[in-house]
Amino acid sequence: MTQHVVEVEELVKVYPAARGGEPVRAVDGISFAVASGEFFGFLGPNGAGKTTTIRILATLARSTSGAATVAGLDVVRDAAAVRSRIGLAMQTVALENMLTGRENLELIGRLHGMPAGELRRRVDELLELMNLTAAARRLVGTYSGGMRRRLDLATALVHRPAVLFLDEPTEGLDPQSRAAFWEELVRINRAGTTMFLTTHYMEEADRLCDRLAIVDAGRIVVEGTPRELKRSVGADAVEIALAHLDGAESLAAAQALALTRLAGVAGIVSAEVSAGGIAVGVANAHAAVPALLRELDGNGLGVTGLTMREPSLDDVFLRYCGRHIRTEEADRPLETGW
Amino acid sequence: MTAAVGFLRETWILGGRSLRRFYRVPANPVSTLLFPLIQLFVFSQLFKDIVSLPGFVASGNGSGSYLDYLAPGQVAFTVFFAVAWSGSTLLVDWRNGYLDKLRASPINRLAILAGELVPLFMVSMAMAAAILILAVLLGAHVATGLPGALAIVLLGGGFGVAWAGTSMFPALVTRNEQATGTLAMLFMPIAFMSTAFVPVALMPGWLQTVNDWNPISYVIEAMRSLMTVGFEGDVIGRALVAVLILGVVLQGATLWAFRRLTA
Repeated sequence: MTQHVVEVEELVKVYPAARGGEPVRAVDGISFAVASGEFFGFLGPNGAGKTTTIRILATLARSTSGAATVAGLDVVRDAAAVRSRIGLAMQTVALENMLTGRENLELIGRLHGMPAGELRRRVDELLELMNLTAAARRLVGTYSGGMRRRLDLATALVHRPAVLFLDEPTEGLDPQSRAAFWEELVRINRAGTTMFLTTHYMEEADRLCDRLAIVDAGRIVVEGTPRELKRSVGADAVEIALAHLDGAESLAAAQALALTRLAGVAGIVSAEVSAGGIAVGVANAHAAVPALLRELDGNGLGVTGLTMREPSLDDVFLRYCGRHIRTEEADRPLETGW
Repeated sequence: MTAAVGFLRETWILGGRSLRRFYRVPANPVSTLLFPLIQLFVFSQLFKDIVSLPGFVASGNGSGSYLDYLAPGQVAFTVFFAVAWSGSTLLVDWRNGYLDKLRASPINRLAILAGELVPLFMVSMAMAAAILILAVLLGAHVATGLPGALAIVLLGGGFGVAWAGTSMFPALVTRNEQATGTLAMLFMPIAFMSTAFVPVALMPGWLQTVNDWNPISYVIEAMRSLMTVGFEGDVIGRALVAVLILGVVLQGATLWAFRRLTA
């Protein structure tokens, strides 16, 4: 029998209506389980309910209905016990700037009641792991963004949690730091820590997660390994850039003509306009390209570029949610209080 | 029992953090002290002859030196300034997620609030002591000697913790640093209308009535009594009651707002 470190059953969180608004069902009946040692993730756009789910699991928010256990403990009834078994790294880095890196780690370790000797060894180990040993005695206020991220992650690990909750952990990192941070996360997971990650970066979910759930509007839309999910889309994508004069009308005309021409072609799963041309979904890109070129190049149309790619998680998202994941929304209410 | 020990331990750990956060920015202690020091120095010169006004010495508490009169008022004033921004640190923690990090730790959540009060108590006492020492250097005289000076400092610490609620409560309710700052300004008149600078006997009638209800005046009167008269049980008792009521009301409101914020 597989040991489940996180189990969530029909979780619902309704936020009361803001002035003149409707109540918001941030989490709308979510169920899932994370096995011990697994790297599990939620992939979805902002406002999908990812953060709310993590906040409930980390005992920071109460669910409206449904049940959740972490390490076999109920997150409401046994909240205190849950807190000593989880590590938490949220979207915004939460550190004390006027303490040194070492002091930040020691503070959290002491709050977890770790004995002084063990804590010192653990802090040394984490500073080494996160490549922060040289900066350990400097005030955190002087740290770079990447260093702050790594130290924040270290504070979540001091007490050797059974499960690590990561809410958009690489938000605001440059690509290089992000890649380095991913390495850390993989290493931590390999060392035995169960991971639950939320992200709206497809590459991040693809790269890190053993298994993931795509969430949208408070619900799990589909769940599986990244491979399974991508295969379920069943199509490769072919991006075709079309020759056109300056101006939107010329492009639109070319796109419309191209789509009509493809209407009768066999093996095409989907076709839609994209920036600068059209995007075509086909069962097998390598086999389909010659036919596509025959149809589209000539007779008043011109192909100026062509790229093929295997399905990405964005295609998966598009397939199951009917839109792209990158539709950013200003979903955070301004928190002025008054 | 173990819960209480745990609470004190966590309060101590978090208090250590808050204290470092305060003194590791030298501008904090320096600016907190500088304004009251300048005020003490200038006012003691400026109003030196106010003691010769009829009724000043007769109003009690008069050693005949305005510096002796002013110093205790200035001590209370300093503490008043020292805690005027105390709510903003909670707001910073709330905004950057540090409060969540602490709440997700296996600690008593009230230790988070108590951990803010420990350094406020220490800082208030340190500030009170610094002003008192400077006053003595300028020539002031503490009638009750060192024990009385200690009592003044302790009273300052207690007042600081209680009064901090005037910043912490608005901070937690408005969740806005600027509003917290401007609301703190609203409390300024209470300090200015107190007996810090002028004895109540020299005030117009309506201001005398106001001072019957001004908790700061009770604190100042007790400090002044220790400074210029001696250990007067009833005056000190009234100050303790004033601090206690202030503490229960203001920190009670803060506690309510804190629970609401972290519910």
